Amino acid sequence: MEVQGLQMTEAKTAPGLFKRNPPIAGEAEAIERAKAGDAEAFSKLYALHKRRVYTLCLRMLGNVSEAEDMTQEAFLHLFRKIGSFRGESAFSTWLHRLTVNLVLMHLRKKGLQLVSLEETINPSEEDSPKRDFGSRDTQLAGSVDRVALERAVASLPPGYRMVFVLHDVEGFEHNEIAGMLECSTGNSKSQLHKARLKLRELLRRSESTAQAEVKEAAL
Amino acid sequence: MTLKNSSPIPLSCAEFQEQLPDLFAAGSGAIHDPQLTEHLKTCENCSALVRDLQYIADQAKQLLQPTHEPSDSVWKKIQEGLAADSSLVPEPSKN
Repeated sequence: MEVQGLQMTEAKTAPGLFKRNPPIAGEAEAIERAKAGDAEAFSKLYALHKRRVYTLCLRMLGNVSEAEDMTQEAFLHLFRKIGSFRGESAFSTWLHRLTVNLVLMHLRKKGLQLVSLEETINPSEEDSPKRDFGSRDTQLAGSVDRVALERAVASLPPGYRMVFVLHDVEGFEHNEIAGMLECSTGNSKSQLHKARLKLRELLRRSESTAQAEVKEAAL
Repeated sequence: MTLKNSSPIPLSCAEFQEQLPDLFAAGSGAIHDPQLTEHLKTCENCSALVRDLQYIADQAKQLLQPTHEPSDSVWKKIQEGLAADSSLVPEPSKN
């Protein structure tokens, strides 16, 4: 696949991103060998990063088959471009940016216009988070497990999910997200806020369902 | 005439919640605006909302660890792609 328009320059990265994506043992050596065309080193890099790249694709696309296709594209593209990796950011950060750009291009090709999030991938009224003025529901119990959160993220409307995954999971800044999605930083902030509100709603709902099931089982 | 009462003008829940996207984006974890802190002190609903949204943002970090694995066919296809297209030999390092 001819990939056009991908910006593979390394963004100036805050030291925090190295903390979030620390180098993996053996990775630096594999990168250098891969740059020289060593096939075994490619295999090692794939083994080290396949799960995170695939998980990222799956979260962004919500579809196993498409996520596998994009994982394949991301690694093929990586192997083409690895010579331009200069180590100015963590390798995984660079690889994830490459992956995100490929996924977004794929979505645009499918007809999902990401230019204006508000107008295109904003969810319907039905999907929008409810405003929370004066309700007296209890707060989240503070024990939301990973599975429940993963499930709730998967059920977010695509526009919300995209920004939530990029910001809260992957650690991209709003200005970076705005650049990738071709929207304003204000738009990115607003989508993220709505995503978190929607997640809260979904998690509270799943908590109360679980509590009702426990009560029912106890009867 | 000087104003003796310097208490901030109370915010409604709607006004408070409108500020939340920027407040969270600032990311310092502490709220310094007296109007906002005053509202948080007195509104149980909004303080629960802020705690929950912060909790969700914190919990999201654990999702960075991957849970899913691609099938073996993905690597096979990558190998086929590498073999089929000689242009896929990586560009030599310019370092």
